[in-house]
Parts: sequence; structure tokens; C-alpha cells
Amino acid sequence: MVRTAIAAAVLAAFASAQAQDKPKPPPAWQQGKPAAMADSKLAPHAGKMTETPASEIPIDKLKLPKGFKVEVWSTGTPGGRAMARGDKGKIYVGTRAIGRVYEVTDQGDKRTTRVVVDKLTQPAGVAFQGGALYVMAIDKVLRYDGIENKPDVQPVDMTAAFNLPPEQHHNWKYINFGPDKKLYVPFGAPCNICEPPKEYAQIRRYNADGSGMEVLATGIRNSLGFDWHPKTGELWFVDQGRDWMGDAGPEEELNRLAKPGLFFGYPYCHANGVPDADIKKADPCKGVTKPVTTLGPHAAVLGTKFYTGSMFPAEYKNTLFIARKGSWNRTKKFGYDVVNVRAGADGKNAKVTPFLTGFLDAKEDKFWGRPAYLLQMPDGALLVSDEQLGAIYRVSYSGGKKK
Amino acid sequence: MAFRIKGRWAGLLTALFVCTGQAEVEERLKVCAGCHNADGNSVTPGIPSLAAQPRVFLENLMILMREGLRGSAPMQQLLKGASDREIVAIAAHFAKLPARGEAGKTDERLFAEGRALAAKYRCGTCHLPDFSGQAHMPRLAAQREDYLVDILRTFRDAPPPGSDTLMNAALYGVSDAEIRAMAHFLARTR
Repeated sequence: MVRTAIAAAVLAAFASAQAQDKPKPPPAWQQGKPAAMADSKLAPHAGKMTETPASEIPIDKLKLPKGFKVEVWSTGTPGGRAMARGDKGKIYVGTRAIGRVYEVTDQGDKRTTRVVVDKLTQPAGVAFQGGALYVMAIDKVLRYDGIENKPDVQPVDMTAAFNLPPEQHHNWKYINFGPDKKLYVPFGAPCNICEPPKEYAQIRRYNADGSGMEVLATGIRNSLGFDWHPKTGELWFVDQGRDWMGDAGPEEELNRLAKPGLFFGYPYCHANGVPDADIKKADPCKGVTKPVTTLGPHAAVLGTKFYTGSMFPAEYKNTLFIARKGSWNRTKKFGYDVVNVRAGADGKNAKVTPFLTGFLDAKEDKFWGRPAYLLQMPDGALLVSDEQLGAIYRVSYSGGKKK
Repeated sequence: MAFRIKGRWAGLLTALFVCTGQAEVEERLKVCAGCHNADGNSVTPGIPSLAAQPRVFLENLMILMREGLRGSAPMQQLLKGASDREIVAIAAHFAKLPARGEAGKTDERLFAEGRALAAKYRCGTCHLPDFSGQAHMPRLAAQREDYLVDILRTFRDAPPPGSDTLMNAALYGVSDAEIRAMAHFLARTR
């Protein structure tokens, strides 16, 4: 299945490597790789799929601004990424390769975990509304009604209603319900860089039952984190930049959807107006909505959360936290942290500040953990999932009064 | 248990074994040896060698098999109920054993052709120039030739789920003859 026209330059670079007369595109992660990088050894990092006990997590290496602290909150969720909190406080955690969704129960002094469902194809999307857990895998949508009270409840299969397109690459999900009670779902470009087929490179929303689908925004390569501004209700979302254009970027984006129908540039125009190296057209950045801010090269931006709690100092209220899982397509590693972004409600004057760091040893160019997603708890503490070690950390603030 | 020690020491020893999970691991390793050979260099057609495979690759693959997402039905069955600790220990065991797969007679022409193809398709980028593998990417050197043909065809025709989507589509357009040549070369690479 040849997805679309890949730029002539890309095809030329690979034509010699194709043995047969009907060349297929190179692997999605390798598309757009220029001849000069042909011998690059960069490849996505190995995930860890086994449990890591708390005693093996070097939590002391993490650093936060003064007055904050971080602790291991739960373990035993290998590959755990996005988190959704049920009405009664149970936390549901999606994964990719390991195919599971976990349920974490807070027992007060400790947390216990169980597997709700397994054997799914990258069930990364989890959301909770009206007493029901929604799970979205690449090819399946399941709803568990009343799961917090009925641990053995059988799921309702909602797949047909959502009409998910078939491509797998970049189509694992982050999902969430908006203030309008609708389910927001991204559909990533099924490639590193290509002219995406019309079902992809966009964010949609659906009614909770899968009806009423609307495409809200296009030109989005791979958005795996979003939230709604606490004051304006507008959707703010991150987007991961393309690979194989060098260490400098194009940088990842934080975008704001001021109105439905905006176009965010992919595949022609990236970041703050960087034309693509492979897919070219005249005036590539014309009509493109520019980001609120860029978020660094190859950083793998994921969890995106406006802080609305009252535990953290007032200056954090309504600011954005963004988890950067960390780069692979860069000769020196970048990201592996949680940053805080302050910006006007109109998206102006954005300022990015490191918040939670220490997962990466920059000198050794080695990482031990990969912060992926964020969840604000009722007490205002911030949970951070570590996809690498299958753990969840809790960030709290005590203002230096007591530690 | 395969041995008997009388008296109170028996209880203590059993407790120690249960605590470390060593007994379960030893039992499982015996089962592995049945097909993959005790030294991890398979002499059974269609069964891959495990010796000197990267530890992370073995761990991730066994987890995916246990979860019913990868591998043959017998492997999924055998790993059913294996704990993470057992899988980690089994992976560490085979990762440490030396690879010495006996590959049979070399066809010099096929070997040279396979070497050229492996270079052309840049197998050594991820699997390293000596094809010893790294992290979640398996060792190809000294793997069984028949198994390499089989798994390369599988990746070309119906890529199975993996810990990453890396290998998916990496073999687009590669012919059966090319696969046979690469397998011949890789199986004889030390």
C-alpha cells in the first residue's frame, strides 16, 4: 500500500535500495533520511517491558524548583503512559507495545495495580466520562461502564462507530474529553514525512458514542498531548516535529486552536516557519498557523496539562506543564524532562522553563527514565508517568515549610 | 525438586530458592534447553539460537510472547504465567552464553552475495556492523540459516507487533532469493 507521493528526493535516495520494479516507501521512521545521514546509527530507544521495583528507581536524581518534592507514587505498570482518573479515584493507564491498560488503586499508604485488558494493539488512549472508561487502541475502541464499581465489567465495543483508518504508524492515541463533553482524538501522519492521506495528520472530535465526527484542525504531524485553556476553553496541543533534518530540528510545537479549521503546516512548513527539506511547494508557510512556542528539537513532547490546582504557588495557576519524553533522532540527547510554559491566554509571550529534570545525564548522554504524561490530582499534586520504568511519580509543593 | 536434603536445612534451602525464584528459573531453563539447546545454540530446524542475543531483545520478545502478542502458539503457552523476574533471569542467562552456531557448508558465491546485500540494505546500522545486535535489536550473526529465512520472510510479508515499529517495512521489495543469500551470509558470520 503506497500511502502517497513521497517527495522525489526521498524516492531518489532509496530507489537504489529497492530491488523490485514497484518500490514501496522505506520504513516510516526512515523516510526523509538524506544520503548524508545514510550511515547514521540513530534509532528509537528500547522500551523496558518488565516491572521495575521502587528500590531500583533513582528518584533522588530528579530536580525541581525550591519547595517542590517528588516521590515514587506507584510501580508495576510497564510501558505506562497516559493516565485518566475515574470519579472514585482509580487511575487508568494506557500503553503501547505491551498491549495493556492498567488500573491503579490508591490504598492510602500504597498503590496496587491490575491489568484491565491486554492483547490490544497499542491501547495508548484512555479517558473517563460519565462513570465509564474509554480505551482507544490503534484499531479498537472499548467502553467499560461503571468499571470502578464493577471490576469485571465486559466492555462495549465501540470500534465501528469511530471508523478508525488502517495505518498504524503514528496512530497510537492520546484521547480526552473536552469541556464540551466530546471526545478529542488525534490521527497522526502515517510516516515521518509524506503528503498524508486525507484521514490523517489531524485532530478530530466525536460525540461520546462515536457519532458526529468533525475534523477540527489539519497539518498536524503527530499530536499526543492536549488540554483546554482554563480561561478561554480553547484547545492547546503539542505536535512532534519530523525526523532526519538534523540535530537542530525542526523543533516541536505548542499550538493553540483559536477556531476550528486551522491548518498547522505539515508536511510543508514546520515549527516557526521552517520549510520542509523533502516535500516542497511555493510559499510553504502561507496560511499556516504558527505555534505559541517551539519546544526544542526531537524532544518527543507528550503530556500537556494546564495547572488549575491550588497546591503549587499562585504563579503556576493556569500555566502549562509539558512532558518531553526525550529524543532519539539527535546525536546528543535532548528533553527527558517536564517543562513549564507561561503564555498569555492569546498565546503571546510564551516562556518555557525547565521544571522537573534529572532523567538525563547530559555529560554521559544517558537517560534512566522518560517522563511521558501528567495528571493533576484533586489535592493539586501532579502525577508524572515514566514510560521507561513503568512507574508514576508524584510532584507536590510544601513551600519549604515541611519536607 | 531434583534433590533431597533431610532435616531442617531442607526447609531453609527451599525457602531460599522460592525467595530468589531461582528454582522456577532453573525449571524453565530446562524447558528452553529442550528445543533451543542448553548452550543456547539451537541444533533443531526452525528453532532460533538464543546464545549471545542482546538481553533487552530477549526480555521484550519473551514479554510479548507471554502477553500473546508475538511468537508461535507453543512459545506463548510455555511463557504463560512466567513472571517478569523469571523472564529477566532467562534473558540474562542466554545473553551471556557464547554464540557458536554451526552453519554447515559455505557456498562462497551465495555468501558474497549475501554480504553485499546486507551492506546494501544497511542491516548493520541497527544490528551493528558485526551483526551482533544491540538493545532491542537482535543478533543476526551465527543465527540458524533456516530461521533467518523464515523470520525475514515474516517481517517482509506480515510484520508482527514488536517493541517498536522499527523493522516494519524494512524489507519492502526484498526478494526470496535475496533473503536466502543474506541468511546464508549472516548464519556464517562470527
